[in-house]
Amino acid sequence: MNPRRLIALTRAGIMESLHFRLGIFVTLFANLIYLVLVYYLWKAIYDSSGTDVVNGMTFTDTMIYLILATALFNFLEMFVVWDMSRSIQSGKIVLDLLKPMRFRIYTFWSYSGSHVVQFVLTFIPTFIVVMIVTGGAIKMGINLLWFVIATVFALIINYSIEMMVAPICLYTESTWGINIVKETIVLLLSGASIPLAFFPEKVRMIVDYLPFRAVYDIPLTMLLGKNGSDTPEGLLKMFGLQLAWILILTVAGNLFWNHAVKKITVNGG
Amino acid sequence: MSKKRGLGFYADIYRKILIQDLKSKMSYRADFVISTFGMIMTNLSGFVTFMILFHNFPTINGWDYYHMLFLYGFSLVALTPVQCFFDNNWNLRFMVQSGDFIKYCFRPVNVFFYFMSEVFDVKGLGQLAFGIGTIVYAWIHIGIPVTPLVILKLVVFLFTASLFMIAIMNIAAATCFWIKGSGYVMVIMFRFKDFAKYPSSIFSGVFKVIFTFIIPIAFVAYYPSLVILQPDNVPLLSWLSPLLGLIFFWLSYKFWMLGVRKYDFTGS
Repeated sequence: MNPRRLIALTRAGIMESLHFRLGIFVTLFANLIYLVLVYYLWKAIYDSSGTDVVNGMTFTDTMIYLILATALFNFLEMFVVWDMSRSIQSGKIVLDLLKPMRFRIYTFWSYSGSHVVQFVLTFIPTFIVVMIVTGGAIKMGINLLWFVIATVFALIINYSIEMMVAPICLYTESTWGINIVKETIVLLLSGASIPLAFFPEKVRMIVDYLPFRAVYDIPLTMLLGKNGSDTPEGLLKMFGLQLAWILILTVAGNLFWNHAVKKITVNGG
Repeated sequence: MSKKRGLGFYADIYRKILIQDLKSKMSYRADFVISTFGMIMTNLSGFVTFMILFHNFPTINGWDYYHMLFLYGFSLVALTPVQCFFDNNWNLRFMVQSGDFIKYCFRPVNVFFYFMSEVFDVKGLGQLAFGIGTIVYAWIHIGIPVTPLVILKLVVFLFTASLFMIAIMNIAAATCFWIKGSGYVMVIMFRFKDFAKYPSSIFSGVFKVIFTFIIPIAFVAYYPSLVILQPDNVPLLSWLSPLLGLIFFWLSYKFWMLGVRKYDFTGS
C-alpha cells in the first residue's frame, strides 16, 4: 500500500475536522466541566471511605484515570456505525466500495485525520490541565511512551470493534439501538465509567481478558504505572493482550464484512 | 372557532398524532426491539456501576446503598418525560438547517406543542419501568411508610423534577436557532443528567450555585427526592422545587419560541 495515498486521506480528514472548530472547543469545555463533576463526586466518595487508597487507587489516581478516560473517549470516538448506515441509505457506500483500496483500510485512514486533530486540540490540553490540577501526579518518564503506543493500539482495537458492529446494522436496520448497546458495553467493561481496579475479583478475571479493557484501561494503567505495568513482564503481558485482540478482531471483522457486504441493497440507481 | 383552545382540543390532537407515529414505528419492529433492549442496557450499566461503587465504599457523603438507589430510581423516572415526549428536540437542528421547520409554523396550533407531539419515544418506557422497579426496591429496604400522602408527594415531586431536564434540553435544542454547533451543546447537557443520580451535597462553593440554579441538575432528583427521603428535615429548596420547575420550564419555552420567531423573520 502506497503510504502517500494514506497520508493524503489523513490530510483531508484533518482539514475536514478543522472546519468544525466550535465542536472542538465545546468538547474541551465539556471535558473541563466533567473534570469538576468527577472531582467533587470522587472527593466525596474518598472522604466517606476514611482511607486514602482503595484497591491500589488513590483519589488522584482515580481522577486522572476517569478524566483521561473521557478525554480518550472523545478522541477515540468514531461514528462508523452511523456513517455506514447513512452511506448505505444514501447509496454513497457504492462509491467507497469501488475505490481502489480495501474498504476497511480506506475507512480507517479517512478517520485518521480527525483523530490527529482531536488528539492535539482536545486530548493534549485536557492532559495538561489534569497535570496541573493534580500537581504533577503523573510521572514524566518512559510511561508516557508506553501510553502513546498503547493508545495507538487502542485506536486500532476500537476501530475493529466498530467494524464488527457496524455491519450488524445491515441486517437489523437499527442504528441507534445497535450503537447504544455497543457504547454501553464498551464504556462499562473498559473502565471508562468506573476504574476496572474497583471491579470485584471474580468479575475482573473475565473482564481482564476481554478486548474492551485494551481500549481504555491498558493505556491508562500504563500511564499511571499501576498493575505491574512498570515491569517488563507486566508491559509485555498488556501489549501482548492488545496485539492478540487486534489480530483476532481484524480476522473476524474481515470475515464478517465479506459476508455482510453481499447483503447490501441500495435503493434506486 | 375561538382563538384560545382548551386542553381537550390539544389532548385530542396529541392522541391522533401519537397513533400515526406509533404506526410508522411498528413498521420497523426489529429496530424497536433492539432500541428498547439498548435502553435497558444503559440503565443496567448504571445499576452495575452503582453496585461496584458500593462494593468498595459503604457510604457516599452519608448516603447508604438503598438511599442512593432510591435517588437513582427517582432520577430515572424523572428523566422519562424528557425522553418520551420531548425527544424531537434532537431533530430540531436538522429541521431548522434544512428549512423543513417552516411547516410547523403554518399550522393553526401552538408550534412548540405541534413539534414535540410529532415524536413519542417508546424506548423511554423501558427506563420508566426500570426506574419504578428501583424506587420500589429501595423503598421497601429503607422502610418508608406507604400512605396516600407520601404517594401523592412522590408523584407531585417526580413531575416537578422532570420539568428541569425538559427545560435544560429545550434551551440546549433552541440554541440551534442562533448557532451552528448546537448538537454539541445538546450532547453535553444530556451528559449532565448522569450526575443527577448523586446527592448534590457533594458540591461546594461556586459549583454548588452553578449546578443548582444555572444548570439545575441538583433539582432533577436530589432536592425533590428529599421530601420523601428526609421527611423531618426538608430543605426550603425542596419545597420550592415545584415553583422553580415551572419557572424553568416557562423560561425554556419562551426561549424556544423566541428562536421560532427569529426563524420566521429570516424569511426565505
